[in-house]
Amino acid sequence: MEKFFRRNFAGYAFLAPWLIGFFLLALGPIVASLYLSFTKYNIVRPPQWIGLDNYFYMFQFDDRFKKALQVTFTFVVISVPAKLIFALAVAMALDKGVRAIGWYRALFYLPSILGGSIAVAILWRQLFDYNGVINAVVRWFGIDGPYWLSDPRYSLWTLIVLAAWQFGSPMLIFLAGLRAIPNDLYEAAEIDAAGPVRKFFAITVPLLAPVIFFNLVLQMIEAFKSFSGAFVISGGAGAPLDSLLFFTVYLYNEAFQFLRMGYASALAWVLLLIIALFTAIAFWTSKYWVHYENERG
Amino acid sequence: MSILNRRRFMTGAAGTAGSLAVLAAFGGRAFAQDIAIRHFWWGNPERDKRTFAVIDLYNQKNPGTVVSGESLGFADYFTKLTTQIAGGNMPDVIQQGYGVLFEYIANGAVVPLDDYVGKSLDISKMDESAIQAGTVDGKFYALSIGANSHMAMYNTRLYEEAGIKVGENFDPYGYTYDDLKRIAVEIKNATGVPGTDDNTADYQNFSDFTVQKGANLYNEDGSFGPTQEIVEEYWSIWAGIRDAGGTPPGPESAGLAGVSELSQLGVVTGKSATSYLWSNQLVGAQGLMQDPLGAAMYPNTPEMIPGSVIQPSQFVCLSRDSSNPEAATAYMSAFVNDPEMTAVLGLERGIPSNSDVRAALQSSLTPPEAVSVAFFDAIQGKTAPLTAPPPSGSAEVEQTFERVAVSVLLGERSIPEVASDFLAQAKAILARA
Repeated sequence: MEKFFRRNFAGYAFLAPWLIGFFLLALGPIVASLYLSFTKYNIVRPPQWIGLDNYFYMFQFDDRFKKALQVTFTFVVISVPAKLIFALAVAMALDKGVRAIGWYRALFYLPSILGGSIAVAILWRQLFDYNGVINAVVRWFGIDGPYWLSDPRYSLWTLIVLAAWQFGSPMLIFLAGLRAIPNDLYEAAEIDAAGPVRKFFAITVPLLAPVIFFNLVLQMIEAFKSFSGAFVISGGAGAPLDSLLFFTVYLYNEAFQFLRMGYASALAWVLLLIIALFTAIAFWTSKYWVHYENERG
Repeated sequence: MSILNRRRFMTGAAGTAGSLAVLAAFGGRAFAQDIAIRHFWWGNPERDKRTFAVIDLYNQKNPGTVVSGESLGFADYFTKLTTQIAGGNMPDVIQQGYGVLFEYIANGAVVPLDDYVGKSLDISKMDESAIQAGTVDGKFYALSIGANSHMAMYNTRLYEEAGIKVGENFDPYGYTYDDLKRIAVEIKNATGVPGTDDNTADYQNFSDFTVQKGANLYNEDGSFGPTQEIVEEYWSIWAGIRDAGGTPPGPESAGLAGVSELSQLGVVTGKSATSYLWSNQLVGAQGLMQDPLGAAMYPNTPEMIPGSVIQPSQFVCLSRDSSNPEAATAYMSAFVNDPEMTAVLGLERGIPSNSDVRAALQSSLTPPEAVSVAFFDAIQGKTAPLTAPPPSGSAEVEQTFERVAVSVLLGERSIPEVASDFLAQAKAILARA
């Protein structure tokens, strides 16, 4: 034991800043929030133990909780595939030996850096305003565009487009994956007279499957946690008519608008379990469609 | 050879020292024996400018004390304050509004001022009513920094262009919803700009209307006052004005439901000729636009039962976390009494509660401030008595109103249906709170 520490001391010393940060700033609050989820806590008064009441209320009476789940699921189910398809398409276009590829890569990656920011969310609100740029373009074609943001039929779509636009990081990973596919496979397929569609589904998709899976899991988790865009565009409350009531926005509202920290903690734990469940499902299904090169059998 | 050679180490150290200095400058931290006082308020650009100027003045006059200001928009203010309560680092001096204040007092986040009155804190010139409004259970907690009431602000240029004249066909202190409909449509026809914002999702207007109909917003037992009939009538009145073309289209108003940002109001953006606010916001709103603003009360029913109240707009309070309450209360005292400081603050937070300050300001009023003073003179006797502070859960009821009213604006569901839905939700919220 002593020997182990002496040998690894330097390693732990270098890890210390991260470890301290993790235990103090991540694990500590996580454990605290588990405790708080069983309490009634409004910050100013000390927490009061109420057992499972928060969870009972959530599943039995809370209509906004159900609405938040519905909005979040819709968002995840549509935005994640849209983003991945978009990212893959751009990656394949860039894979074709385009000149100045470094420029394009940087350019296409840019929205991912900016996309999560408040500034872009505000810009988005302006673009989709009734008198905004989008409707001005639509008007050239003689169409009177809708109220994108204040009509609950359209509001979620503006955020789905915003999410798909931030395709940069999955695109870069796809690009790396595409580069790793040996060219002779395509050459062999060409000799066998396979067209581009056939090549895509018979070679690219199966060989890229591990990368697709990685991107899928990452983006799914990201989509479940999505907050700032919905928060800014919905005025912080999920408006209009709760059509932008993302789970995280609802959680924030309960915590900081109505000071129900205990209930908000319970919501956070439910979100964690949902994300864990969906990640587990993704891993389970991956057995059937993801094959790694070094796998036997 | 060490990777970390001497030169690199020195640049690193210099960098650290430099960033510390920058941090200190940003935080406005005081060094050595200076007493540091933090003042936190919610504001708008105009208020921030004036308040920072006042802080500079105070710091010049009082060497040894360094006051630093922090400001946020209303929507974010209480979020930040909440996290500061949890962290035990609330600023010394915090701004509070009538309503939430009582929650903070009940929870002990705001502490009584009685120990400092007559010493570091001078309230001898304060109006008795203002002192009463900040007193709970015989203890004095909150220093009123201005009286406030509901005010309809209108673009005088657009009103003139449509031939709407005060005293002829418009009485700003006694007009009905029918009058408003007529005026709004005339303005729309004459100028192309809808005459008024659509208040379907405006809780402030709805609460006035409830009192105008002879009900209370909250009954004495804490239950919600408005009835199905009142909610339906309120939304029907605004639907009538909207259908006649007096307001912007429903979906456009739906986008503004619950928005408190001055820069997005119809009268400021030019999308309508009238917006409905608190009177102390007149100075801030005027600062964002060119056309001069006029002031009116909220519209009323033909019975003319008063619906608006006059109440303290804001208080400055001493927080539980203040490390130097004497210095903090001395600053608070200067904030409401010092002639130079109050001259800079003017009427931006409302009509001052200190009679000397009011008198001193009289001679140097800016045009929007003069409008405010005239408004306050005119509404005396036309307002409702101040009610007890709302029960907890009221903020959620308000947000629910703003949310469900959107389906009225979008014409998704019938008014009676939305009204009963709203009342059922309000009841559930109050039962849970």
